[in-house]
Amino acid sequence: MHYNAALVALLIALAAPVLVLLAGAVRVSFASPVAIGMTALAFAVIVQSYWRGDDRFDVVWAASWDIRFSLELDGLARLYAMLATGIGLAVVVYASRYLPLHLHHDHRPEGEILRFYGFLLLFMGAMVGLVMAQDMILLFVFWDLTAIASYFLIGFDRDKDESRAAALMALLVTGISAVCVLIGALILWKEHGTFALDQVLQSDANSAPVAISAVLIAIGALTKSAQVPLHFWLPNAMAAPTPVSAYLHSAAMVAAGVFLIGRTYPLMDRFDWLLDAFVVIGLLSMAVGGILALTRDVLKQILAYSTISQYGYVVFLFGLGGEHGIGAASFYVIAHALSKSALFLTAGAVTEATGQKNLSGVGGLTRRMPLLTIGSGAAAAGLVALPLTIGFFKDEFYFATAWERHPLFGVAAVGGAALTFAYISRYWLGVFGPFRRGTMPAVEPQVLSRLLVWPIAVLGGLVVAGGVVLGPAMRMAEQAASISLLTDVHVSGAYHFDLRAENVMAMSTWVLGTLLLVGRSVWWRAAIGFSRLGQRVGPERLYGISLTQLNRLSDWLHDIEVRDLRSRIASILVPAGVLVGIALYVTPNGSEFAVGKITRDDAPSILMLLLAMFAALAISLPRDHLNLALVLSCVGYSLSVLYAFMGAPNVALVAVLIETVFSLLFIGMLILMPRTILRYETARRPERRRVRRDALLAAAAGVMAFFVVWGSLSKPAADTTAIDQFIELTPVAHGKNVVTVILADFRGLDTAGEITVIAVGLLGILSLLRIGRLR
Amino acid sequence: MTTVLTRLIARALLLPTFLIALAIMLKGYADTGDGFSAGVIASLGVLMQCVAFGPEELDTLPLVKFAPAGTFVGLMLALSIVFIPALFGAELLTHWPAAGDSATHFGTLEFITPVIFDIGVFLVVFGFCIGVIGAIARAQQRVLRDRARYDNAVAERVASREAGR
Repeated sequence: MHYNAALVALLIALAAPVLVLLAGAVRVSFASPVAIGMTALAFAVIVQSYWRGDDRFDVVWAASWDIRFSLELDGLARLYAMLATGIGLAVVVYASRYLPLHLHHDHRPEGEILRFYGFLLLFMGAMVGLVMAQDMILLFVFWDLTAIASYFLIGFDRDKDESRAAALMALLVTGISAVCVLIGALILWKEHGTFALDQVLQSDANSAPVAISAVLIAIGALTKSAQVPLHFWLPNAMAAPTPVSAYLHSAAMVAAGVFLIGRTYPLMDRFDWLLDAFVVIGLLSMAVGGILALTRDVLKQILAYSTISQYGYVVFLFGLGGEHGIGAASFYVIAHALSKSALFLTAGAVTEATGQKNLSGVGGLTRRMPLLTIGSGAAAAGLVALPLTIGFFKDEFYFATAWERHPLFGVAAVGGAALTFAYISRYWLGVFGPFRRGTMPAVEPQVLSRLLVWPIAVLGGLVVAGGVVLGPAMRMAEQAASISLLTDVHVSGAYHFDLRAENVMAMSTWVLGTLLLVGRSVWWRAAIGFSRLGQRVGPERLYGISLTQLNRLSDWLHDIEVRDLRSRIASILVPAGVLVGIALYVTPNGSEFAVGKITRDDAPSILMLLLAMFAALAISLPRDHLNLALVLSCVGYSLSVLYAFMGAPNVALVAVLIETVFSLLFIGMLILMPRTILRYETARRPERRRVRRDALLAAAAGVMAFFVVWGSLSKPAADTTAIDQFIELTPVAHGKNVVTVILADFRGLDTAGEITVIAVGLLGILSLLRIGRLR
Repeated sequence: MTTVLTRLIARALLLPTFLIALAIMLKGYADTGDGFSAGVIASLGVLMQCVAFGPEELDTLPLVKFAPAGTFVGLMLALSIVFIPALFGAELLTHWPAAGDSATHFGTLEFITPVIFDIGVFLVVFGFCIGVIGAIARAQQRVLRDRARYDNAVAERVASREAGR
């Protein structure tokens, strides 16, 4: 069958949340089958494209800005899209059983599962779009969409404080760094004159702005992949339900970060110091994530820190670069996603069966859950790189690349891998191993639904299958790496029974990891100390402090603003005045102030202006509100007479009408106010000091406004030609009244926007006053 | 309560106000005025009724009751003038007949799409004013009623306390 796989995959993925919500609206139990079906369909389309080859879809999106809706399902996109939909399928199947239980435990209505599916599938759709996007703006849109969906997913348990805080943290940290990506994209556009990724990546410009944009994009990517020092959002995000963690933090959200590095690698590749920074950040993440994973007791926390550390490997490999480095990085992402998602799902299953969330609360579950043990055992074996798993090769490539570059990197690589070996073994042996701890409660684990076990078993099976049949994963890694490097890449691996460097390194990893596991008493204190130090002076603490201070600043400003009406007006006028003052000061020709000629014909206008001026001054006199409203209208009426004198009858008519309606509305609102307050305000004598302060503020704002108006009127209007054109064209447009023709024709779109605002305003006013009625 | 004279004048002025509004709107292309002014003038006429007869009058006057809903009809009318040309591949808000072509006349009134657009604007403005005036007037009545009720309650309590004493 002939179809465009890129477009079809995206459409299926984006239609999925809509269809699930529609099905769920009919009956909640319809939602799960639809979600599973749509995810499977999207997965199938992407898998099929492995044989069909690449597909492109490209249409103009916003022509005037040169933005295209351009997708390409290439090797890199296929790898990540396959992970996003494939792991997504396992997670959705798992969630179809897990979520109802989760909601039931929390006494929440079962319909909330729709919200879960909606945002999870939206995330999947955004991810599929992101990996295929070939236009920088399109890429940014999908990138931000993942951040928004992740916010709702992490905060799914919205009645829990920690969930909301974690969701906000993830949104702020990844959202602010997303802005970096956008700025980077805009700089690149400025440099290359296009948003098309392929053109930007194929150029070899390495000027300073391009370097800045590369750094900005790298910041966005590293933050999304939870790399040190912006890693702290990830462990907090574990407040989400387990399927969310399993999906976002193995194959989707964090993978998006390294995907972006892979996609923009030709850009990163131009700057050696940036690649060196990747090496440093990757090693740091490996170490920090690994050490902290060893100290954690909560099951999901161990896995969260492990993810930080594992993506540290990938970033490290990107930093080493070259054919081997990029190939290894791509392969690593596949192997890690399979294993890690299975281990996350295992944590959820174990908690569901025993009610325990901590490693110290469980143990010896093998006998009760044989299939879960085997499935998660295979996944854990993959992560610690035992032979006959796909994970063995991820480490082989990783060791080979590191050793090839420098023996010191080889040593660091072994250290990181040993940490992984230690904490994953600690996790798996702690849950399933026979080593029962003293304080463990003797709770009989519940029998788990098949839907909670089989997805893990299948993922575990894939981990083993990938270690036996290497071809597909390697082809995928090859194709992905070829896109990153813009040349053909060859990735190959096989079991070698000799003492080559990789094999020796792998074996030393196992020995070292076992030693770490056994000699816990030696390093335990140091690791805990490191963890405490991180809590006290680490980046998370900095985030907390800046958030608190920002909140305090906002509260302070808000308090000033709402103290009374004067402060509120002052809080608008004064900053506006200051900003205008700065603008006038720095504008090169801002100081041109001309005084025009005054002729005898201007006398009526001056008279009216004087009237308006006196009325404006008189506003400060009356104490009671009715007179105030009347004096205020006096200003408006005198100005409308001025328009009439100046030969603008249309404007004058509108001004009179507006003034009338506003005066009436003012008086109408006065009746709505409590009489006591009006009387109190009328009788009150303000303090002298405040009167003086108010006068000063008013004068400052007024002077600024005066200078702005004077300055702009001193210059010949820029578009007098446009106005002349309007006047000239008016008869052609069937009109004699220029103003009306401008409103309905030349500038009709503006009018359409304005009347839309009026209609929305009416809705607002009616609902406000109607809520008042229900009060 | 208003006097008979006020009510008489208010009612007598209603139709002329509407007529002026209509004239201003339809002749807007040839003379001073447009849909916006017409909408405000018409609503001032209705406001006058509201002042003279009370806000209930808004519900009894023919068609005025539907004015707030008319806001959205007007919006749709104006927006369709904006968007329908796009369906035929033209720029947004392409008016018909095209510039320079001759249009059908009826006196000074020309049958051209900008007039329909202006009628949309009129409906939006008229509906907005009537809607807001009505909402405020009803809220006022409610406030006055609540106040009276509160005063009565206080008076009753004072009276019962004094009786108890």
